Amino acid sequence: MSHNIPYFVYILASAVATILVRAIPYYASFLNHLPPFLNKCLRLLPIAALGALICPGAFWDFNPTWYAGVMGVGVAYILAWFKMPMIIPIIASIFVTYLGLVL
Amino acid sequence: MEQSTQFPVLSFSEGVKDGFPICIGYFPTAMAFGLVCRTAGLKLWEAALFSLTNFAGSGQFLAISLLSSGAMITEMFISVLLVNLRYSFMGAVITPKLKDVRGIKRFMVAFGTTDEVFSVAIFKGRNLSWRYMSGLELISYCGWVTGTFVGFWVGMFLPYAMQMAVGVTLYAMFSSLLAQETRQKGAMVLLISAVSATLNSLLIIFVHLGTGWSFVISMLTATLLGAFFISDEGLEAVQ
Repeated sequence: MSHNIPYFVYILASAVATILVRAIPYYASFLNHLPPFLNKCLRLLPIAALGALICPGAFWDFNPTWYAGVMGVGVAYILAWFKMPMIIPIIASIFVTYLGLVL
Repeated sequence: MEQSTQFPVLSFSEGVKDGFPICIGYFPTAMAFGLVCRTAGLKLWEAALFSLTNFAGSGQFLAISLLSSGAMITEMFISVLLVNLRYSFMGAVITPKLKDVRGIKRFMVAFGTTDEVFSVAIFKGRNLSWRYMSGLELISYCGWVTGTFVGFWVGMFLPYAMQMAVGVTLYAMFSSLLAQETRQKGAMVLLISAVSATLNSLLIIFVHLGTGWSFVISMLTATLLGAFFISDEGLEAVQ
């Protein structure tokens, strides 16, 4: 799936999407009175996003050595579980993935 | 402004002081972003433009991963919009505390609303001044932008296998966030993200759907299922 749109257009489109959702509440007040079901959805949305952000990319990107990515993500999860500051799981994850790729 | 008679108006330097830990915290994550940009084939100015104009952690990581997987621009736009939707709710909480800030200043405060800036500002527990917010947001922004530069630059000196391994960075970040959320809010978090992870994998690998649409469909399905099946009491922990 190649595209001919230059990268900077993508970058600016992403910037516009970001500033839109950021600026709206500073100029409109309807967000304070959403129906409860929508409110509930909006609290769950970031959690639902995480799953889809990790899979399938975490193993599919590393095909055929898919296990390298799985190992990396697993190590990051375990270290973050034990309240390590985020840079530690990330560095450990890169290291473990590197081992998975070269061994 | 009755409060200002009790407390002095929050100053710029107080904002910078409160924002310093955010700056330090952003730096390595931004470095990771710079590295990911390099691996995705972006140039230095493009990586810098990303951080200068977006200033959004997970939103930027999502955008770069969709961009490098060849997603359409509309797919990316909608996905970024949805992932960043939480900023709307943070903004809605900040607005009542932000009196007498108008025009371009108000817009700039809105631009700098991130998860960390929001939590620091909101726990300040009183009216927020333009000086304070600009200090808080500017120092955070500096950490984010300089980190992106340094990360991109450091990438030059890494061997090929190491550059490949760096591709795991964003997954490691998402995985760490997932671990933190699960620890704080319970197994319900794992359940919802497992639904979206499974659905997304099926849609991409077997249905060959575009990455962006697949992401949006998986995220919304898991959210709706969660909202239907999880009781309001079960959700109390998710603030």
